[in-house]
Amino acid sequence: MKTAIIRFLGTNCDMDCKYACDAVGAKSEFVWYEETTLKGFDIVILPGGFSYGDYLRSGVLAKFSPIMQAVKEFAKYGGKIIGICNGFQILTESHLLPGTLLKNKNLRFIHKEVYLKKEESNCFFTQKVEKNILKLPIAHGDGNYFCSNDELKTLEDNSMIVLRYSSKYANTNEEFNPNGSIKNIAGICNKNGNIFGLMPHPERAVGDLGIEGEEIFRSFI
Amino acid sequence: MKYTVIVKPKKAILDPQGKAIKKVAENYLNKEIKNIRVGKYFEIETETDDKDMIEKLAKNILSNDVIEDYEVKES
Repeated sequence: MKTAIIRFLGTNCDMDCKYACDAVGAKSEFVWYEETTLKGFDIVILPGGFSYGDYLRSGVLAKFSPIMQAVKEFAKYGGKIIGICNGFQILTESHLLPGTLLKNKNLRFIHKEVYLKKEESNCFFTQKVEKNILKLPIAHGDGNYFCSNDELKTLEDNSMIVLRYSSKYANTNEEFNPNGSIKNIAGICNKNGNIFGLMPHPERAVGDLGIEGEEIFRSFI
Repeated sequence: MKYTVIVKPKKAILDPQGKAIKKVAENYLNKEIKNIRVGKYFEIETETDDKDMIEKLAKNILSNDVIEDYEVKES
């Protein structure tokens, strides 16, 4: 399988994603945001960073770039897409995933390691994850996931919630929620499971940096 | 033509920025303030009169309908 790592103006986790792909032995290539096709690729990564300087709302301006039209087409035919951090924000703004990401409840940029409980879902990217609890870093200012009650019901009824912030022992109480996200949501997928958005950074926990990110990057091989 | 677009957080949405400002404002004024909510304000100039285009812009780019409402005014 071949992975496209999209680079927008302001993307800054592109090299980390490349490092993670290399570490697990997955083929990958950078794709510039002005490109119009994703021909030949099986997986797309929308990496983290600050596309368009987070102007207006995080992720909104990137959705109008040429490559995002190709990403939408790619999604339509079942292409596998993972949006990490700012990539997740781009996916919600593009309506490829429901809801949106608000400013963190405490208004601070949060940078720390968190525990995540893997929920039962048909998300392509977590099928090879063996652990039920993952420890991954987060680093965001706008990571407070929010959606309407109807959307939340859709997420729950269709097992679209993939990761929740939790304790080391899978307790998903409010006290283990770093940013105020609804129902401790850290990552969701679409109904078909081919589009995955998450705030934590698996690419920063691979190789010399850790092992738990590899659980997710294993699906890229 | 000149238009103004105002984007506001929906009533049901918590606005932590507004809350932080309210707290500081109350300390500064030494008075109670009922509520402060933070929105965005845009001034847009066009050659021709095209309110529909501005509506489209406000709906699809300037606001996010999950969390915000918008208002378009001709000025």
